[in-house]
Order: sequence, then C-alpha cells, then structure tokens
Amino acid sequence: MSTRGLEAVLFREGKIRATNWTFIFWDLLYPLGYLLVFGLGMNASLGFTAGLSGINYNAFFLAGVLGMASFGIASNTSWSFFLDRDNGIFYEMLTYPLSRSQYLVGKVLFNVGVALVQAVLTVVLSGASLGVAVRPQGLPLLVAATVIGTSGWFFFYAIFALRIRRNDTFNAVTSVFYFVFLFASSMFYPLDPLPRTFRLVASVNPITWHVDVLRYATIGLGDARSVTIEAAAFVVFTLVTFVFAVRALEREG
Amino acid sequence: MVSDIAIAVDHLVKVYRRGNQEEVRAVDDLSFTVQRGVIFGLLGPNGAGKTTTLRILTTLARPTSGRASVLGHDVVGAALEVRKQIGVVIQEQAAELFLSVRDNLLTFARFHGDAGVAVRRRAVDVMGRFGLENVAETKVQDLSGGVRRRVQVAKMFMIDAPIIFLDEFSSGMDAILKRSVIELLRGQAAQGRTIVLTTQILTEAEELCDDILIINKGQSIARGDLQHLKTLVDRLYDVTLSFERAPEDLTQIVAGFHPLALTVTHNTVRLKLREEETRVLELVTLLAKRGRVLRIEINGASLEDIFVELTQRSGRHS
Repeated sequence: MSTRGLEAVLFREGKIRATNWTFIFWDLLYPLGYLLVFGLGMNASLGFTAGLSGINYNAFFLAGVLGMASFGIASNTSWSFFLDRDNGIFYEMLTYPLSRSQYLVGKVLFNVGVALVQAVLTVVLSGASLGVAVRPQGLPLLVAATVIGTSGWFFFYAIFALRIRRNDTFNAVTSVFYFVFLFASSMFYPLDPLPRTFRLVASVNPITWHVDVLRYATIGLGDARSVTIEAAAFVVFTLVTFVFAVRALEREG
Repeated sequence: MVSDIAIAVDHLVKVYRRGNQEEVRAVDDLSFTVQRGVIFGLLGPNGAGKTTTLRILTTLARPTSGRASVLGHDVVGAALEVRKQIGVVIQEQAAELFLSVRDNLLTFARFHGDAGVAVRRRAVDVMGRFGLENVAETKVQDLSGGVRRRVQVAKMFMIDAPIIFLDEFSSGMDAILKRSVIELLRGQAAQGRTIVLTTQILTEAEELCDDILIINKGQSIARGDLQHLKTLVDRLYDVTLSFERAPEDLTQIVAGFHPLALTVTHNTVRLKLREEETRVLELVTLLAKRGRVLRIEINGASLEDIFVELTQRSGRHS
C-alpha cells in the first residue's frame, strides 16, 4: 500500500495544529492546567490520602489527566471532523487519491502522536513540579494505553461526528459525553467510597477502564487481574468503535 | 492503444431511500460518454440528477445499478485509480478553514503527490492568476465566500489530473475573475485535460462547453454541441431592433406575430418569436419601414431557450 496518502493526511493535520495555537492549547496545555490547578488544589485542600496507601492526590490524578488528554484530543479531532464535513472539505478529501482506511489511519496516527507528546509533557511536568514519580516498569504499558486509548476514543467520537448532521446536536452530544464519561468514572476520584449505583455506572464506563490501566502503569495502583480485564475490555471497545467508524465513513461516500 | 473516451456511463441508476419516504430515482438509466480533451457540460434544472451523477463519477456515491468508468477505471471496483485521475470542485465552499490560502494549495497538491520547491513556485503562480496574492497568508475562515470559492477552483491548477470536475464553479466569482477562469479552463482543455462541469448559468455553458448533455429527472433529454442542440429547438428566434425613435404603433405591429416574449426599453425592442424565418424577416422589414433603425440583431435560440424548451417538453412527457 502506498504511504503517500497517509503522509498527506499527517501533513495536513500537522499544518492545522502547527498554525493554530488554540489547538495546541486544547491538546497539550488544557490537561496540564487541570493537573496543576485542579489537582494541586484538591491535593492541598483535601489532603487526599485515605484508603490510597499514602498516595497523594497528585499521583492519583496523573492517570486521570493522561486519560483526559486522550479523550480531549479525540473530542477536539471529532469537532474538526464535524466542521470539515459541514463546510464540504471532508467530501472533497474523499475524492483525493487515498483510500478511506488511509484517511482514518492517518488521522489516528496523528492523534496518537499528539497524545504521546502530551503524555511525555504531563509525566515530566508532574515529576518536576509535583514530585510524582512514574514507575519505569510501567512505561511500556503507559505507551500502549495512550496509543490504544486515544485510538478508541477517536473512533468512538468519529462515529458521532460522521452521523450527526446538526451543529447544535453535535455540541450537545459532546458536552453530555464530556460530563458523563469524565465524572462517572475513576478519573477524578477513587470509586470505593462512592454509592453502589455510581460505582456500577463507572464500572461500565470505558474511561474507567482506560484510566485504571493508566493508573496501574504510572503508579502501580490496582490489582493486576482486574486491570488486565479492564485493558481487554478497552481493546474490545476500540475494535467495535473502529468497525462502526469505518461503516459510518463508508456511508458518507 | 489509448482510448479517446475519458468517461463512460452505462445505464446508470441511483435510487435514494430515506426511512419510510418514497424512493427517489435521482439518476434513471443514464448513458453517455465524454471524449478526452473536451469541456463537457452537464446541465439540468434543480434536482435533475447532475450532482448525483457527479458524485458517482467522483467516487463519492455508489450507483444502485449500471456502470461508470473514468479513463477505463470502474468507479466502484477501482475507486482509488479513478481518484488518481481526477480533480474535483464540489458544490459546497470546500476549503481548509484553519489553513492559509497558500497552505490550502500546498496541502491539496500534497494529497495528489506533489511537494517541494516546484510546487511552492506553482502555488505563487496560481495565487497570482486568481488574485489571491494579498491573502496568501490569511486563514480561509477569515475570507468571504467568494474568495473561498476562488481558492477552491485555484486548487485545480495545482495538479495535473487529466480530468477535472467542476460543480457550479463560478458561484461567488465576479465577472472579471469568471472571464479569466473561463480562459484558463479553455487553455487546460487545449492542453488535453477533460473538464466536466455543471452550471445553472447557461451563458457560461454556451461559452465554454464543446459538448453538452441536458438531463431532467435523472434522464438524458438532449445531447450534442450547441449547434446540434439548436436544431432540436428550431423556429425560435431572438430579435433586437434599436430605433432612432421607436414607432408609436410598435407593440401593435409586433402583437400580430404573437411573440413569446416582448420588452421595449427606450427605443429598443426585444422579442422572442416562434416563427418561420421568412415571417421573422417580414416583421423586421415591416418595423424598419416605421422608423430609422440603428441596429438589428437576429439570433437563433440561445442555450437558455433550448434548455427551457427541452426541460419543459420532457416534464410534459413524463
């Protein structure tokens, strides 16, 4: 398979990101802001160590920020996907000499690249300014979770960006996703002290699976068996969303 | 041996079904071919099936049945090969909103496999031709709709794809730019590129197209060059006479010839007649006796006349 189309998609995405500082802000700096402002505040005011074997909130929240970055990057890309379709360039691109799969794979690769850069920035900054030490043996898992996590969320969002026609509907859906997925999960707080119903909802939320794997990779929190099950569940989630995203793309032309 | 056929469409059908609504046959058993190196106009009223046909030919939609090929490549079976042969300007103002005008051109070229110094030089040249130099570094989202359209059409001149599809290419362009784009398109056709265009502006098609297909309700209703199409709608004349002073009984005289349309502006009368040539000359002679004539112009049917006549006829027969 020629890589020309793939390179062109990466070139386009790179150009758009590199020449629009707002994208850089949302992709790279916004999650860091959460870590440094929200995380620091929570850590200082609530002294969050109960039931976490002495782990402070900054260390706990690191995985949440990494998960949020993957989720946010995918969400931002779906928004630009939606805009591309809305103004027609998306359809024009479907007449370019590249296959539908090259188009999707190129977009995913770029997002994964951004997520990896974001992860490195977050890990380095949290270590340097908050004293959070990431365990070295967890790094391969951290990379894998970032790659698969970003892909899964990208495919998930792409389905909605391709299916929804109206701008207001799309904004409403993504806002609801942000609220439900992020807050009904283990991203911001441990689930154990929460009511049973909340825990039940969080346990079927793919963000919880993703963040739990990231948390295990970064600070070793959680047991290996349940994290393995969550990782497997997230891989299945990614494969299913990929199939639906490809179908949605094929329906477009 | 290389075939002379650029596009072949064979019994093409496209049916849309939306939920419980009745099915719509947007393209209904359409067949035609387009020779290489011509400017081909696909005309028809709104909803005639032009854009659907274009969407199938550019691999954006799949036909329900029938076949279509571009330079011998099947639009379904070899869609990627088709895409390597075409450049497409679609109806929407499709441009990269977050990129500058220059980056729009460079990115488009990159998708078609062109990059490097030569491409950057070509971008400068194309921006010059389309009057885009002053907005080269401006992001497209900050430009007006007309300028965005210019960027969109300018992109076609960044690549050497043998076939270009232009859907309503001139919308949003001013008369001067339109004129220069028409010249550029003629130049491209002369170099062997095949250009397929749809337009609602029939004078544009009249001026540009070597070969015209008029469709209505997804079906072909007329095909040929302008001269041939004129023979399909015979005995239709546009007559213009400018007098030094218009005769007082002008409308009375003209009324006897039952014009299809009549306008009198100052000392100029314009009328459309469906009559034998001798009757038209008789009317002109009659009017010329009533006052000093400064200008006489008699034209056969315009493409607009042909278009209206044929689409109305096909509407009545369907």
